[in-house]
Amino acid sequence: MAQGASFPYEEVAEIGGGAYGTVYKARDTESGKFVALKSVRVQTDQDGLPISTVREVALLKRLEQFDHPNVVRLMDVCAIQRTDSETKVTLVFEHVDQDLKTYLEKAPAPGLSQDRIKDLMRQLLCGLGFLHSNRVMHRDLKPENVLVTSGGQVKLADFGLARIYSCHMALTPVVVTLWYRPPEVLLGSSYATPVDIWSTGCIFAEMFRRKPLFCGESEMDQLGKIFQVIGLPSEEEWPKDVTITRKQFLPPNHPPITNFVPELSEQGAELLLEMLTFDPLQRISALNALEHEYLKEEETADTEGSTREGDAIP
Amino acid sequence: MTLVDDLASAAATGNTAGVEDLLRRGADVNGVNKYGRTPLQVMMMGSTPVARLLLARGSRPNVADSSTGTTPLHDAAREGFLDTLRVLLEFKADPGARDHFNSRPVDLARQSGHDDVVEFLKLLEEAN
Ligand SMILES: Nc1ncnc2c1ncn2[C@@H]1O[C@H](COP(=O)(O)OP(=O)(O)O)[C@@H](O)[C@H]1O
Ligand SMILES: [Mg+2]
Repeated sequence: MAQGASFPYEEVAEIGGGAYGTVYKARDTESGKFVALKSVRVQTDQDGLPISTVREVALLKRLEQFDHPNVVRLMDVCAIQRTDSETKVTLVFEHVDQDLKTYLEKAPAPGLSQDRIKDLMRQLLCGLGFLHSNRVMHRDLKPENVLVTSGGQVKLADFGLARIYSCHMALTPVVVTLWYRPPEVLLGSSYATPVDIWSTGCIFAEMFRRKPLFCGESEMDQLGKIFQVIGLPSEEEWPKDVTITRKQFLPPNHPPITNFVPELSEQGAELLLEMLTFDPLQRISALNALEHEYLKEEETADTEGSTREGDAIP
Repeated sequence: MTLVDDLASAAATGNTAGVEDLLRRGADVNGVNKYGRTPLQVMMMGSTPVARLLLARGSRPNVADSSTGTTPLHDAAREGFLDTLRVLLEFKADPGARDHFNSRPVDLARQSGHDDVVEFLKLLEEAN
């Protein structure tokens, strides 16, 4: 970690204020390019940075060596000591000037083509599979954290503080935006990498709908909305260690998923339901999703070089 | 946080509804945030709707970054967002502007391999 070395980045605007610290859009004055700065204040003692922080940074740097096309580049890590007891650690990421939310809003009616959706999904799952196979979970996947370059390349952002996870990690309260939050987190049960698959399923549906799938106003409302689509799970499937009971929900007569996501093919619907599976242990993994028949085949033959099609000039 | 700070952040996150709301509440479209930048200078380059909104409300298109001389047109060209670049040009952004590295927008587009942007800017040059 560079300690007090040159810092050629100038903040130009705040773009996020999460639980961990502020995120800035900044300019690298040496290259002229934008970067994203993510700062965290950490308590230090005479031994320097806490081991957990050093370990997280080391993991991020290790991931960086793979140069994976579907995660944002980590360009630099700077540690600046503020006081005797506090150090500011700044992660410098490549900045991508478009997110999936904007990309979907921009798509001319009737929305993205089937092939464009498949391509985006493959890239998203590829980035996620890479993180998961390195024991990193994202935990806050949402369209704002899925970046799309002008050439249509997907890059995942905001996994910077994902912890190295053990199989089931302890619960921290503020994770994953409500609308993309899986049942196990809403219920206060334990969770692991399948949380990201749930969020990816929600994003998959949103690519067709161009609006979110489950817009709950509270955690209970969110669960109710989920069960209206996937059905109420059986008593056996309901987790044992939670206070919310199954009886608090009406057993809804749920219509087929294609009512909520029109234009979805049979195989697409099958993949979506495998991602929106209630039991996290039964939910499909990123790598298996990539092998799913839906993503294996193209909709039409003339898809070569179609990565820019979503950006076509009207 | 002032209204302009909020406006700049809304523009930077591509939040079109937020930009609209802040403008309605009187945020100065040519004001600078606490980092000394206008909303157009920091907007999400991929967000053509935000670009159009700010420009239609009188945002000056050619304000250059105080440290690097980079204009929004340079950023749009380097990042390859042709649709936003066209909106900027429609509102009189200067394709001949040079940053402190003596580069024009077309030079940055070429360095980044955005052929469609290069082609468009060259055609424009020939037409003028
Ligand atoms: N590398 C990046 N390039 C462009 N935008 C980014 C980048 N990283 C984060 N952002 C944007 O900043 C927003 C907030 O950052 P994020 O990392 O999600 O922080 P938090 O969730 O802690 O607020 C994100 O929603 C995303 O749109
Ligand atoms: Mg986030």
